[in-house]
Amino acid sequence: MTVQANMAGASPVARRFGAVLPLLKGVAALAAVLLAVELIVILFGIRPYVLPRPSAVIEAILRTPAAYRDAIIRTGLETLMGFGAGALFGIWIGIAFSRLRFLRETVFPIFIVSQTIPVIAFGALVVMWFGNTILAKAVIVFYLTFFPVTVNALLGMRAVDEKQVQLLRSFGASEREIMRKLRFPTALPHIFVALRIASALGLAGAVVGEWFGDTTGLGVLLLQGMYAENMVAIWASILCSAVLGVAFFSAIGLAEKRIVFWGGEST
Amino acid sequence: MSDDPMAPSQQALARGIFGGLALFAIWELVARLFELPSYILPAVSEILARLWTARVALGEAAAYTLGESVAGYLLGGAVGIGLALAITLVPPLRKIIVPAATAVNSVPVVAFSPLILLWFGMGVSSKIVMVAVAVSFTMFVSALAGFDRVDERSVNLMRSFGASRAAILWKLRLPTALPLILSGMRLSTVRSLIVAIVTEMLGAYGGLGWVIYQAVIVIDFVQVWAAIFVASIASLGFFGIVALLERKLVFWR
Repeated sequence: MTVQANMAGASPVARRFGAVLPLLKGVAALAAVLLAVELIVILFGIRPYVLPRPSAVIEAILRTPAAYRDAIIRTGLETLMGFGAGALFGIWIGIAFSRLRFLRETVFPIFIVSQTIPVIAFGALVVMWFGNTILAKAVIVFYLTFFPVTVNALLGMRAVDEKQVQLLRSFGASEREIMRKLRFPTALPHIFVALRIASALGLAGAVVGEWFGDTTGLGVLLLQGMYAENMVAIWASILCSAVLGVAFFSAIGLAEKRIVFWGGEST
Repeated sequence: MSDDPMAPSQQALARGIFGGLALFAIWELVARLFELPSYILPAVSEILARLWTARVALGEAAAYTLGESVAGYLLGGAVGIGLALAITLVPPLRKIIVPAATAVNSVPVVAFSPLILLWFGMGVSSKIVMVAVAVSFTMFVSALAGFDRVDERSVNLMRSFGASRAAILWKLRLPTALPLILSGMRLSTVRSLIVAIVTEMLGAYGGLGWVIYQAVIVIDFVQVWAAIFVASIASLGFFGIVALLERKLVFWR
């Protein structure tokens, strides 16, 4: 909050720096943890099978960078496709729910129950339906993404002050204008909170989706590492997943700072 | 607030049930009319029939998975709430614990499952640890937000009346933080079950995830759906119990 308050009067450079701040923070936290683990492993002489040195893990990534790069791109693409579709659908259906009470009361409970279905079980079916394609993973990501976005879009739409709506209406604003200028902007901070949650869920979904058989991706690398009992490879994949996760998270944070420039209730 | 989607009114409840029944009816109709093979979509009636015939095996699997989930849930809750409590009592710890927890949380939690399986083996313990890892961060964040909400002036007031640290914790900090802690616990229920099932699929000796995996291998998709139904019911039950507990404990809300 205080950061945002300071940012209001700051120069554009400082504002841009503020926007990448979450990314820098994430990288700094990661670096600090890696360093601490490195020291602990060396100091206590922990065997590589229990915990390999982070430097060995990074070395493994640098030795075959193409494999890890391809995996990150593949899993990132799956997540992006499913996440984009899920976010759009979630916002759209959330708005529809806020308008149509019958639809909300009939369909919303089904949505809630749908979220108790373990994605892994669903994954087996989706791969059966769509084949072992990138689309199947995107569908799994979509399934995990749309629900939090729907819930928060609905909450956001209801956070609108009815007196403001009546004021706009009394000035002759159409329903479309009220939606565009009042309702949607009010809902945006809520929607962004959900987008951040959804990005983490979506990435996990993409990784799990690859376990049903695929040739590239972070989930594939993880599974190969497990079957080969190669601890360094597993940790390398975990590190790549973390990088991808932080990248998604900060991209959304960046978009939020730009779009919700007046400052939402988040962070 | 009869309009609140989280606390349905009579009419909303009726409509919710109607929606569920309508879904099942459409599903049954589509599956029967188009004569869909069971690997695409089995009819609901077929799934329900399987639920009945395989009730013993599915019940045992559900109990197995629920046991793992609840154990991991309690362990993760203890770790998450414990860390938040540690930060509250020893504020300098915040600078170490919060960045470390954030870094661990930046990894999608399922990415840890191959590692945890190698560390803890195929048995129950690997699932308990995975569930604990998955839920502890949510619990930590919500508990910390709860403890942070405590007004320091109230703490000072109690201290000036000679209250001990334990009394302040028990009579002020915990009741203030309780609503947020419990909502974190409620949110973690479904997640704990899902993570247990996901980990079971990678390697286990029993449980719903194992049942699903075996059924996929022998292409018995009615069994997959039956297991999904059971998992869904188990999640809802677990969620319901914790939500009920929340309402009882936070009665002033």
